[in-house]
Amino acid sequence: MMLVVKRILTYVVMGVGTAFFALPVLWLLSAPLDDTPTYAVRPPRTFSLDNFASIMDNRYAVASLVNSTILSLGTMVLVVSAAALAAYALSRARVPGRDALIYLLLLLSSVVTGTAAMVPIFLLIFQLGLIDSHFGVILVLTGGLLPAAIFLLKDFIDTIPPSFEESARVFGASPLQILRQIVVPVARPGLATIAVWTVVQVWGSFLTPFILLRDPDKQPAAVLVRTFYTEGGSPNLGLIAAFSLLYSIPVVLMYLLAWSRYGFRFHGGIKT
Amino acid sequence: MAGIEISALTKEFPGGVQALNGLDLSIADGEFFALLGPSGCGKTTLLRTIAGLETPTSGSVRIGDRDVTRLPPGARNVAMVFQDYALFPHMTIEDNIAYPLKIRRQARETRLKHAHDVGSQLGLDGLMRRRPAELSGGQQQRVALARAVACHPSAFLFDEPLSNLDARLRLEARTFLKRLQRQLGVTTVFVTHDQAEALALADRIAVMEAGRIRQIGTPREVFGRPANTFVAGFIGSTPMNLLPGVVRDGAVLVAAQQLSVLDVPDGEVVVGVRPEYVAVTENGPLAGAVATVENLGTSSLVTVDVDGLSIGAVVPEDREVEPGTRVALNPTRVLVYRDGELVS
Ligand SMILES: Nc1ncnc2c1ncn2[C@@H]1O[C@H](COP(=O)(O)OP(=O)(O)OP(=O)(O)O)[C@@H](O)[C@H]1O
Ligand SMILES: [Mg+2]
Repeated sequence: MMLVVKRILTYVVMGVGTAFFALPVLWLLSAPLDDTPTYAVRPPRTFSLDNFASIMDNRYAVASLVNSTILSLGTMVLVVSAAALAAYALSRARVPGRDALIYLLLLLSSVVTGTAAMVPIFLLIFQLGLIDSHFGVILVLTGGLLPAAIFLLKDFIDTIPPSFEESARVFGASPLQILRQIVVPVARPGLATIAVWTVVQVWGSFLTPFILLRDPDKQPAAVLVRTFYTEGGSPNLGLIAAFSLLYSIPVVLMYLLAWSRYGFRFHGGIKT
Repeated sequence: MAGIEISALTKEFPGGVQALNGLDLSIADGEFFALLGPSGCGKTTLLRTIAGLETPTSGSVRIGDRDVTRLPPGARNVAMVFQDYALFPHMTIEDNIAYPLKIRRQARETRLKHAHDVGSQLGLDGLMRRRPAELSGGQQQRVALARAVACHPSAFLFDEPLSNLDARLRLEARTFLKRLQRQLGVTTVFVTHDQAEALALADRIAVMEAGRIRQIGTPREVFGRPANTFVAGFIGSTPMNLLPGVVRDGAVLVAAQQLSVLDVPDGEVVVGVRPEYVAVTENGPLAGAVATVENLGTSSLVTVDVDGLSIGAVVPEDREVEPGTRVALNPTRVLVYRDGELVS
């Protein structure tokens, strides 16, 4: 009897928890297709694709998705290549005080992209003449993400036995060949994880691009959404919902792709 | 193909660990040479120094007629098999075996054909398209060997290649390795801490302790006449009896009983005798009660208390004795050590 009650309670709690997290997702799926969306979660009253059509009419909406892509991919390329080189060096070379260095960088990185640093960063980027340029945003975001990326990747590369590289060296491979033919392919799941993580971080980042990009033509999606109001001054729910759906699709696709290929399992050396 | 000459080789790691200590060694062309010693004695360091993965603090390494001390690993034309095999997990078996040839810029078809030839020589047909993680330990070991064979080196360097295999597979792999080396006739340096493996495989053995070589010889020499008590204690599947004794007028005495007469000066000595050479009889110089009997399969190791000394003796399976029985022991092939070194 106790057991049955316990079980019922468990399912009730789990059900309520699931519903709590499922509601926004359901809203995101139904509201864009609704002619007159509200905050309520309900199947579309009158089914229509007008909301998507109005996105196409908004001259900034599609461009902002392109901007988001540019920022994400640019930052991803920089973060992955710089983090791979740094993590490899830190993993293989004997640097005194190496762990302290990494932790210090990790600590500082939360400052770099944090609110407190925005004024100095704005001034810095202003003096570099990089305001309103995607490159400036990419640099700042890269600086913020690199330490964590190096930290994660170094942990991963540490699990790759040095005997792989030594074996290749004895066969006469050059350092560049070893990097290209052995280290990068073996570390590929780690690199893919870092790449997806970076894209997701940049895709959702608001503060840095908001401050550094004044021109609405250059703003990414996360920044642009805040301008979606009706003439009356209330949030344009249809537009916001449809845009949010478009905005979240790439991230979901990336997760699925990376998950199906690598399953986010870190595996390095041979079976033990 | 080439011999290996090592002279006055010293390696000190940062932090002051002296891993190799003025080591001289000469390995003949085509020889199967084993480096044997306890953990931490510097076997791997010596092998890695020959390969060029470690630079020596002083001394030189010659392979064939070249001084390779300052050459990078890739220029030495040696192949190394690591303890974990170091098979590249992202490549198929054929690509793994062909990798050394890829580095030498051979065309893909040529090198794959060569990889398949070597692979079938080592019994890897049918596995060539798999990845290393899909192979058993014994198969992985053969792939590592095949990769070493494929690059036609002037010497093989093996670092405990059998230690990841279970006991039965290890015996098979041992026979396989020996036959392969005979066929190819390539100079081979083989690191192991298993004395039975070294005795079974090698043409000659170097026994190492703390960065130095304590004895070099054929398996027969190292087993039959260990040059010092360290080697005596290390070699042999049942440990050698090392008994305190004295020599008086040429007579070797243990527990006040004469074992043999040898031409050595008088004084305190350590008397070494292998359990295999101690006969359990009705009348012998040493007498005592049987303390324990350990079954070794086709024979048994009998430990006998003689005046407070424990002496081991190996008896054949049909001559077993019960614990507690009083027996006499008759040691033969008695070795005499003074200050740790063999005197007779
Ligand atoms: N990279 C290194 N830095 C500092 N000391 C080292 C290094 N590599 C080995 N040593 C030390 O050198 C000594 C010899 O090590 P080595 O690995 O050659 O031993 P080994 O005979 O191969 O032992 P095992 O049978 O356990 O493999 C050891 O005391 C070890 O601690
Ligand atoms: Mg070792």
